[in-house]
Order: sequence, then structure tokens, then C-alpha cells
Amino acid sequence: MLTYIQIADRLSAWVGKAFAWCIIIMTLGVSYEVFVRYVLNSPTVWAFDMTYILYGTMFMMAGAYTLSRDGHVRADVVYRLWRPRVQASVELVLYFLFFFPGITAFMVAGWRYASRSWRYLEVSSMSPAGIPIFQFKSVIVVAGALLFVQGIAQVFRCILCIRLGEWPPRAQDVEEMEKLLMERGSLERLEHGSEAVDLAGLDDPAADPRRRSGR
Amino acid sequence: MTDPQVAVMMLGIFIFVIMLGFPIAYTLMALGVGFGYYAYYDAAIMARVYQRLLGGADPDSFYGQLVWIRALFNNRIFDLLVNQTYSVMANDVLTAVPLFLFMGYIVERANIVSRLFTTLQLASRRVPGSLAVAALITCALFATATGIVGAVVTLMGLLAFPAMLRARYDTSFASGVICAGGTLGILIPPSIMLIVYAATSGVSIVRLYAGALIPGFMLAGLYLVYVVGRAWMNPKLAPPPPEEETAGVSGGQLALMLLTSFFPLAILILAVLGAILFGLATPSEAAAIGALGGIVLAAAYRALTWKRLEESVYLTVRTAAMVCWLFVGSWTFASVFSYLGGEQLIKDFVTGLEISPLLFLILAQIIIFLLGWPLEWSEIIIIFVPIFLPLLAHFEIDPLFFGILIALNLQTSFLSPPMAMSAYYLKGIAPPHVQLVQIFKGCMPFLLIVIVSMVIVYLLPGTVYWLPSLVYGR
Amino acid sequence: APAVVTAQSPIVLKMQSSWPASDVFQDMAKQYVERVQKMSGDRLRIDLLPAGAVVGAFQVQDACHDGVIDCAHTVAVYWYGKHKAASFFGTGPVFGGSAADMLAWFYTGGGQDLYRELTQDVLGLNIVGFFGFPMPAQPLGWFKNEVKSAQDMNGLKYRTVGLAADLMQAMGLSVTQLPGGEIVPAMERGVIDAFEFNNPTSDMRFGAQDVAKNYMLSSYHQASESFEFIFNRDRFESLDPDLQAILQYGVEAASTANFALAMNQYSTDLRKLQDGGINVARTPQSVLEAQLGAWDKLIDQLGQDPVNKKIMDSQKAWTERVGYYQLMNAPDYKLAYNHYFPGKINF
Ligand code: NA
Ligand code: NA
Repeated sequence: MLTYIQIADRLSAWVGKAFAWCIIIMTLGVSYEVFVRYVLNSPTVWAFDMTYILYGTMFMMAGAYTLSRDGHVRADVVYRLWRPRVQASVELVLYFLFFFPGITAFMVAGWRYASRSWRYLEVSSMSPAGIPIFQFKSVIVVAGALLFVQGIAQVFRCILCIRLGEWPPRAQDVEEMEKLLMERGSLERLEHGSEAVDLAGLDDPAADPRRRSGR
Repeated sequence: MTDPQVAVMMLGIFIFVIMLGFPIAYTLMALGVGFGYYAYYDAAIMARVYQRLLGGADPDSFYGQLVWIRALFNNRIFDLLVNQTYSVMANDVLTAVPLFLFMGYIVERANIVSRLFTTLQLASRRVPGSLAVAALITCALFATATGIVGAVVTLMGLLAFPAMLRARYDTSFASGVICAGGTLGILIPPSIMLIVYAATSGVSIVRLYAGALIPGFMLAGLYLVYVVGRAWMNPKLAPPPPEEETAGVSGGQLALMLLTSFFPLAILILAVLGAILFGLATPSEAAAIGALGGIVLAAAYRALTWKRLEESVYLTVRTAAMVCWLFVGSWTFASVFSYLGGEQLIKDFVTGLEISPLLFLILAQIIIFLLGWPLEWSEIIIIFVPIFLPLLAHFEIDPLFFGILIALNLQTSFLSPPMAMSAYYLKGIAPPHVQLVQIFKGCMPFLLIVIVSMVIVYLLPGTVYWLPSLVYGR
Repeated sequence: APAVVTAQSPIVLKMQSSWPASDVFQDMAKQYVERVQKMSGDRLRIDLLPAGAVVGAFQVQDACHDGVIDCAHTVAVYWYGKHKAASFFGTGPVFGGSAADMLAWFYTGGGQDLYRELTQDVLGLNIVGFFGFPMPAQPLGWFKNEVKSAQDMNGLKYRTVGLAADLMQAMGLSVTQLPGGEIVPAMERGVIDAFEFNNPTSDMRFGAQDVAKNYMLSSYHQASESFEFIFNRDRFESLDPDLQAILQYGVEAASTANFALAMNQYSTDLRKLQDGGINVARTPQSVLEAQLGAWDKLIDQLGQDPVNKKIMDSQKAWTERVGYYQLMNAPDYKLAYNHYFPGKINF
């Protein structure tokens, strides 16, 4: 199970990170559009379509990567008070109830949607440039498949947690600045000795690595 | 039970189920798919599909069972999910989200904040509560450029907070300054929160930016007035820093420091905002230029390494995925909700109450304020604000004006317990003796100031409309 | 077999339009819905939803095919990314016939068969469709300065959609694509110099008059559009024949009602715009000639595709005959108008 989790995590991260570089192409492409529009007075016909195609591809393909890093937002006011075993049991049930039906639809209905678009080699109607979008629609299917693979890894995580009583560790990855700083802060605090919990029932989220950033 | 009642039930169940802590994007998607399955369920069509797929085979055979399962999955809701996902993917307003995030992460890593704080601290040394003033302005400026609350609060918490404590500032007072100042970035344009509101409401993002600018600066101004005022009335709260920390800097040196730390960032912000407001670029375009400018800035500060660029890129994609997947779930949910007629039912119910527009506005803002306790701005805007939007026309409330009030209101979601993210970030890096209660206590006056600013905006709508009408003539 | 229907339980169809709830087109969709409901003696009810309620404005055809909605009120240009031939059903080349002439082509000149062939055979879509309400030709649009000649158009940054974008580009304009909500601010800020939308009422409700003072009427870029009514084919064919007939002929009935509403509303709003200080001017001949020149180029390009060619040939043959009759037969309405209201028309 751990092996599968590692492989799935690595696959999701690799794909997510590969597509993350779309942001550089977007930045340069859109800046180029502004440049030619003002300096050369001739806007491109492709910048508009390129922008949303890169944006959409990027966030869809990063869905599984974000899931593997527990980056999708949760309303965890109650959740984080539970013991890991309770968290994992609830989550295990919810993966089958909430996650897989929709993700399966991405693959099945997404396939119908995308293959239709391939059949007539659909192009964007936003510009005369005829920018193809059938490949863009196929992203739904691929993203769904990646999420499916990652979803199984998440299920395994839950099972392991139920067995062991604590969440299996996550792969090391680039973290938000506040998380890094807070981890450093908590190390310092360990040196200063322990402290009492400030508010009854309100644990320090800084100590909870599952707590996501709020932005 | 009628369909619209089922829709309202769906909303009720969601509010309960969300508390199970499962990722919200998938919770929304699941409820949309589940209730959508009910909405699109048609026994006659399913029977017909079943017969067609079966094509005379034995229904009890293994193959027959498979066909039965296929027929069961033959429900239009799955196509709706895909269709709505594509709508999020092809949304041209949301393209600005990853671009602004990228700009934020780049600026965040540009080693700029400590220079900025030191400079401002020196520049404001004669003002009561000078450290707090410098911290607040640094927060506001840095937060505006990055739009990333967590990073600003933690960085400033490590930098300005210990400095204030060393100067024997009151712990609560100092924490309030950091938390409230660090939160300003989601309000003052260019703000991702407003882009998300624009994508949700259909209000022009450009007009939203113009509308939010004065209320945003007004709130920052009120914070400053409060900080200076309290420090002046009660110097024990914020004693002046020891002479040796500020001495020995000439006017010329100070000017040079301002030139190298304060102005580059200010110019970057002004360029991005100016490009949007004065007609040079759409928000996505301005964001791209801002990101490019951020890279240049980071390079100029010799802070641009391959590792930092990589980090920014990866964090951008994760945060963008977090926000946009929330839209995927929410739009599916909302489609089913309005397909079932829930929107109309709520509309009929609220209009039937015969309450005044003011009362409606107050109730709506109170609900959003309360939602800000357990939830954060992205969930509130993407999931709950759409419930209010269709009602605005009935009460003759401008969605632009409503949006600015919400943007102000959501400042409180970072500061109000139990889920006060700003306070937690600060707590996470503060010295151990600083207690969470002290931080909450320090946030309270700022919460109050937010509410005061909302009242001012309501009483003087010109604060919202003056700039858009100046720039766009309406 | 169709479900047994009692008088108490109407069959409910979900219809989504491509228009915001406040647009005059949504009022026109309502006219259709009312007619269907009354004619069916309440056996058929249509829940009319605005754009975005279930799916996005441009997604309605896909949604009808999938059965996510039962029917849609839209225009064919919105799916021209699937096949450029979509434009021939409303926003194609102008051979000399009006929107009414092209609607006649659809119903009696072979258009309906070609539409069925395009949507069902070429694209493989599970839909049936009808057209109604021949729209007045769409204005050339809103400009900072009055357009006095074709040269004035050169290099303008202009916003439009569909095949019209190809046309304007071929005329030497630089075409910019902007989402609906950003047109007005973009115009104010100089991101674009001009734009077109649809008709005086829609343009006014959308705030065009706040950002441009010159409204140029008459153009060949979108001169023969009608509403497209799309139905999911399975859903449509599952209905009793009389209900199918009501849905189909309801389109014809609403066409007249829409036309009456449009004539009243568009003309009233055009006057309002003028009273508000908008310069309403006629597009100069040279621009129209340049448009025809640009169409020539496009027709050659489009004709490379056999489906496009087949439809254009059919339209051209139809217009040659029908247009001849129409133009030969039509009295000079301008002469009569000038006779009774002298000095009002300035061209
Ligand atoms: Na909160
Ligand atoms: Na048009």
C-alpha cells in the first residue's frame, strides 16, 4: 500500500509540476500580447484563447497533485478535533460516497464530451485564428484519470491510518512560507519547553500539518 | 416533496455535511451529482435505454447485469458535471487568478519585506506608536503586492512583532496590528478575492477594482488612525523605541533607503493597478506584467534563484487548483440547485418577507460575517454569495456595491475566532509566552473598525462610486 | 412509448437561453414559452432559465445534445467553433437577401435539410432545431468617431464574434475578443475603439451609450440572423405528435410576436438613444462595399469545405431568385416615408 501511495504521489506531483510551468508561458505570452498591442499596434489573435487554455489545463492537471498534498480546502473546524483514526474512517467512507462517482464521471462523460469535440476538430469561436480546443476538452478525461489514481492512494492512506492510528507521512515538497516559518517557530518553542494549550478545545493549528493555508 | 424543496434540502444537507471536513470541492461535486441524479432521474428513459442496450439478451445473465449497471449510469448529471467543469476551465476572468498568485509568490520571495520595514520604521520614528505604524504600512503594502495573507502575517510576525515586543509594546495591541494589517491584501486591489467575486457575480472586475480602492485605503487609514490615536492617548501601549535603535541615520540615507525599498514595490503595485484602471490592460494582462515585474524586482534584489522560481511556480499551481476546483464543485452544485428550482424558491421566500432593502442588506452581511467564523473567504464567495446575488435586483442593490461590502466584511473572517487564520499564523511563529487569547483580544478593535468602515461605505456610497465614475464616466 | 399524460400533470421541459435575464431576447423567449403552454392546454410546460442557470451561454447546444437541458433558445453562431457552416444559419455572407428571406430559405429553400444534415450527420449531434424571428440586420456598431468612409475603419480595434470577426479582420480592422462584461470598460479605456453588439434595445440595456457617441446603422456583418430553437432529439421524439407540432409551430407563432415586440422596442430605444445625444448615422456606402469585398475573400476560403460550399450554393441560388423578386417588387418605402415625414432621414 505504501508503495502504491508513493508511486501515485510521485506521478501526481510530476504531472502537476510539469503543467505548473504553464504559468511561465502564460506570463510571457500575455506580456507579449500587451507589448505588440501598444508598441506595434497589432494585437495577436491567439493570446485570448491561449490564456484560458493554459490556465484551464494547468489547474485541472494539478488537481491530483493538490489532492496528494492535501491542498484542497476543508471546513475542518470539527474535523481537526478528531483523533486520526476517526478522521480516516470518516474520510474512507466519503471517498467512496463523494469522490469516486464524480471522478468516474470525468472519465466516462468526459470521454463522450471530448471525443465529440475530436470528431469535428472543434476550434475556439472567440477569434478568427481557429485555435483548436478539442485537446483542451480532453484534459478533463486525463485529469479525471489522474485523480482516480490519486484517490486510490488516498483510500490507502485512510486504511493505513485506521490500522496504525496515525496518518502516514507525506512526501517532502515545497511548502507555503507561513508553514515553513511556523514549523521553524514550533521547533524554537520546543527548545523553550512545552506550553499549555491556550483555549479549551482549541488546539494550535500550527502543529497540525493537515491544516491548509488561508489565503 | 417538490423539486424546489428538494433543492433547499440539498443546501441544508450541504451545510451539515461540509463539517465532516472532506475537501469542499468534492463535497459540493458529490451533492451536485447526487441530487442531480435525482433531478435527472427518469424511469421511462432509463427503461428505454436498458431495453436498447440489452437488445434481446437474457436480463438475468452476467451480461444483462452489466447492462443494468450501464443503464443506471445513464443519467444526464454526469454530462452536466463535465459541462460545468469546462465552463470553469474556459472562464476568462479566472485566468487572472494564477497570474496574480504567481506575482504574489515571486514578490514574497524577493527579500523585500525586511528592508521595507526597517526603512518605514526609521521614516516614522517621530510618530506615536512608530513601530506599529511602520508595521501596518509594511503589511498593507506587502499584502497588496502579494495578496497572500499567511505569508505576510508570518513574515511580519517574525520581523516586526519581536521588535514591538522588545520595545515593550502591549502584546495584544502589537498582535492586532500584524493580523489586521496582513489581512488587508485580500481587499486592496489587485486582489484575488475580487477576481473571484467578479467571476461569481458577473460584475466587471475593472469596476470592482476601482470601487474597492477607496474603501480599501480608507480601512487602512482607519487602522492607522486607531493605532496612532491609541498610542498617543496611552503611550504605555506603544512606547517609543530606544534612541540607539533609530539614531545615526541622516536624511539622505533615509531617502536612499526609501528609494531602494519602498518605491520599487509601490511602483510595481501602481503599475499593475494603473494598467487596469487607466485602460492599458485587462486584469489578466496586468497580472502577467506584474509577475514579470516581480521577477525583475527579485532579480534586482539578487533574490531570484532557480529554486525560488521553481517554488513559486509549484505553489502557484497548487493554490490555483485549490481555488478553481472549488469553482468546479460549486458550479455543478449551483446548476443542480437552480435546475431543481431552488433559486426561485428562495427568491420567492425572501421577497415574500417584505423586508426593506436595508434590513436585507444587514441580514445578508450578518450571515456572511457569521459564515466567516468557521469558513474562509474563498468558500464564502464561491459557495454562499451566489445565493444572495439573484435577490439583489429585487432590493435594488447594486452587485458592485454589495461586493465591496462583502470584501470589507470578509476581512473579519481572518480575525474572528474560532477560525481566525491570521491569529493562528501569528500564534504559530510568536514567542511562546504570547497567548492565542491575547492575539484575539488584539484583533477585536480592528474587527470593530471593519464594521465601522462598512457603515461609512453604506452611508457614503460615494466612497465606492467616486473612482469608477471618475475613471469610466459612470 | 410516451408516458401517459393526464391533464393534471404537465410535461415539463427545461429550456435555457443564451441571454441574461434582463435582455430583451429573454422576453422574446418568454413569448414562445407562453404560446406553447397555452396551445397545449397546459399539457406542456417550459421552465425558461437564463444563461448560466444550468450551463454557460455558449454551452447550450452541447447541453441539449447531452440532455442536460431539454431545449435551448440561442443563435447558431455560438457553436461555429464546431463547424464554420453554423454561421450560414444567420451570420453568413449576404447575397442580397434579408433575414426574412433566409428564414424562408430555411423552411422552403432546403435550409432545414441542410441544417439537419450538418447537425445530425456531419457533427453527429442528437438534436433537432428550428429557426424563428428574422432579426433586423445588426448595426455596424458603436464608434468613438463617426465613420465617414472605409478608410476610417482601417486599423480600428474592434470587438465582435463569430464569422464577423473573420470579416472585419479581412477588412483591415484589428479584431479583439472580449467577454460581454468587459466591452464597456474596455471601450472607455481605449483597449478597443469600436464594438458591435446586437440591436438598439440590447445595446442600450448593456450601456453602450455611456462609452461611445456614434451609432452606425446598417452592415453586412450579421445581417440575416434568426433565433435557433434547439431540442434534444430523444426528448422531442418522445412527445406525442401533437405536442411536437406545438413545439415546432410555436416557433412560427412566436416569430410574429417577437417581430412585433422588436419593432416597437428597438425603434423606441433608438429614439431614446438619439434624445440622449447619440449620433445615429448611416454606414457609408464605401464601408458596405469593403464588407462585400471582404466577404468575397471569405466565401472563397469557406468554399474549400464541401459542406460549406453546398450550403452557400443553396443560399446563393435561393437568393438569386427570391432576392430578384423581392427587390423588383418592393416599393420604395423611403420615398413614401420622406413624403410624409420630410427631412427625417438623412441619407
Ligand atoms: Na474566522
Ligand atoms: Na452582433
